[in-house]
Amino acid sequence: MLSYPDVYEIGISNPALQILYTHLNDETAAAAERAYCPWPDMAELMRAAEVPLWSLESMAPVRGCDLWGFTLPHELAFTNVLEMLDLAGVPLHAAERGEGQPIVLGGGPSVANPWPLAAFFDAFFAGEVEDHLDALVAALGAPSRAERLIALAGIPGMWLPAASAGPAERQIFMGFSGRRPPTRPVVPVLEAVHDRAVVEVMRGCTAGCRFCQAGMWYRPVRERPLELVVAAADDLLRETGCDEVSLLSLSTCDYTAVQEALTRIRGLRPGVRVSLPSLRIDAAAGSLARFAAEQRGSLTLAPEAGTQRLRDAINKGVDEAEFEAAVRATFAGGFSGLKLYFMIGLPDETDEDVRGIAAMARTAQRVAQEAGRGRARLSISVSSHIPKPHTPYELEPFAGEQTLRRRQQLLREALPRGVRVSFHDVAASLVEASLARGGRGSDRFVEAAWRRGARFDGWSEHFDLTAWQAAAGEVGVELGRPACLPAGRPEWRDAVDARLAPAFLAEEDERSRAAELTPDCREGSCSACGVCGGDVAMEVLA
Amino acid sequence: MTWWLLTFTRGGPAAYLSHLDTARALQRTFARAGITLALSQGMRPKACLALPLPLPVGAAGCCELAVAEVAGEEPSAALGKLRAAAPPGIEPLTVEVAGERHPRPQPQWAEYTCTVLGDAGAVAAAVARFAEQSQVVFQRVSPKGERTLDLKEYVVDTSVQAVAGGAQLRFTIRHRASGAARPQEYVDLIAEWAGIEPVMRALTRVRVAWKQLPRATAERAEGVISCDTSEEGDDR
Repeated sequence: MLSYPDVYEIGISNPALQILYTHLNDETAAAAERAYCPWPDMAELMRAAEVPLWSLESMAPVRGCDLWGFTLPHELAFTNVLEMLDLAGVPLHAAERGEGQPIVLGGGPSVANPWPLAAFFDAFFAGEVEDHLDALVAALGAPSRAERLIALAGIPGMWLPAASAGPAERQIFMGFSGRRPPTRPVVPVLEAVHDRAVVEVMRGCTAGCRFCQAGMWYRPVRERPLELVVAAADDLLRETGCDEVSLLSLSTCDYTAVQEALTRIRGLRPGVRVSLPSLRIDAAAGSLARFAAEQRGSLTLAPEAGTQRLRDAINKGVDEAEFEAAVRATFAGGFSGLKLYFMIGLPDETDEDVRGIAAMARTAQRVAQEAGRGRARLSISVSSHIPKPHTPYELEPFAGEQTLRRRQQLLREALPRGVRVSFHDVAASLVEASLARGGRGSDRFVEAAWRRGARFDGWSEHFDLTAWQAAAGEVGVELGRPACLPAGRPEWRDAVDARLAPAFLAEEDERSRAAELTPDCREGSCSACGVCGGDVAMEVLA
Repeated sequence: MTWWLLTFTRGGPAAYLSHLDTARALQRTFARAGITLALSQGMRPKACLALPLPLPVGAAGCCELAVAEVAGEEPSAALGKLRAAAPPGIEPLTVEVAGERHPRPQPQWAEYTCTVLGDAGAVAAAVARFAEQSQVVFQRVSPKGERTLDLKEYVVDTSVQAVAGGAQLRFTIRHRASGAARPQEYVDLIAEWAGIEPVMRALTRVRVAWKQLPRATAERAEGVISCDTSEEGDDR
């Protein structure tokens, strides 16, 4: 059973589950099915009618499967895991499960710190599982549950909270570049949040943004050959009937063949649109105009911070001239809207850095007017920085509620008229900050919140701060501080070895304080992050 | 470019699709079948495919109609491809060429069946009471505001039949220039009068009468598309 702990409309868009679903069903002896988290009103009806959570394919109760794999996208989805286990009639705690009950396995980016969910999972897999699916399926053939767990424990990357003596080493799929991406995915018949075909063109990112967990976790960069990407897009268009293809990666504008891929995929069918989900400004500026010539709408750029000093500190690097050039190219190319992503609460951030966001908005407005796009939509999305494990900021303090609220207000007042701004909910950020670096025992915090009704915490209409406050009081957690974590002790490293050298992370944190840039290792200078070595190396197109 | 009329059924899991999702599922069915739909003009071109009579969420339909503009394809060869490419719950039934001009079929009336659970006698009495009324005023409240309508103007040919655990309702909704009643509105009223839960089961649209159907289709079906293609049309 494969699950994403959110509603179907969100979960069906998750590319990891599509990869696993295709691989397991097409290339192993396993039959993989799917289950998602029912919306609260449905869950209420299911409980009232005593209907257990079922799979979408066979409509069989989920609790009857051999293995229940969850992809864990972010902290605000954690309570939904408990909700799904409960709805399925599977004991919440791994220690209470016995013969005939599924092995519950966690994967995905939140395994970077599995402690907040440790009590509920029999095992976690750290990293990219493609190389190990055969072994995983074979392990399920063992005659008893205990023997299956022993077999699973022998798979590289597997960490069993109750049995593993040391951390699991993050697994890296070095066959990525040569492997054909899934071209017969499940096609939803209702509108999904990302309602398009997806080709993963590149895995990993070495831009080195110091706040970015994905940029550290998915190293090294591996690019798929252009021919493979175009052929996959062609197959996807035919097999799915979609009219839009997304070229997926952490930073698609860094994909060596991005321009040619865009051109060739657009030429496959009349009316085909190609979307790029993530644009870094430095890489995007030169290519925007050509991209925009035939495809209009709005574009999202991510400067992340408002001043040069802070952008250098987070290793974003982009300077004012590059930003202005990117905005100019955006509007000159025909885009009618521009969205800018920023973060507040970054280490060493000052009020001046926040005012800098407003200054950049004014720059964008001016450039839009100069380009004859005075009526262009300009919006700014501001999230709260949550220090994450396995990043240079992993031991930095969270900015805290008061600072975030004050800076949000400061920015509101400083922004020019005509700019739409949206902020990440500070209350939700407090919970994220407590869970992201939660230590041993932080699973009690998650369970206490769920028992008080917390679920769908990523949805503003369902986020219930009072449930989390009560849970924090019960467990002894100060909201915003890492839950159950001894000060300064990165307990996540006891569970997961992300292959990143601690010295690299510490040095990057030092360089951040000095606002020193670290070059992308694509540019030739190795930053000694510790990931490459042995069979693991960067794979970029010539 | 040629305009086609596609008839299809929607049922099973697809009954729970919204109108837009149904249209999108059909659009992707065409694409998977390798049949190129024409694109509209403008900044954001859209596939030229329309469903002239939306089906409520949760309702099945065995006589649904889609209008599509396509390029260079023989309808006779297309039907098999469309059937092979359709998702579960959507089954293309017929494909006919409507001509080079955009057909704009208008629904005249649509016949529905559904089951309600409860005392069949009470339901029959409620249906009889409805038939006896000269006017049944109903207040529709929606995000667009409030609107008063007379259900008797729209709901005709009502009948009821006892089935296990409840009653099967059959009724026809007329489409007028002022709009139409919704099946749920009629069933809510009957349920209220019968003192039962206003829960429809197996709501199915079984016949639709159209005007301005292209000549070939209209002559074959006499303006009525129904689950049973041998049925003749009428002029209610």
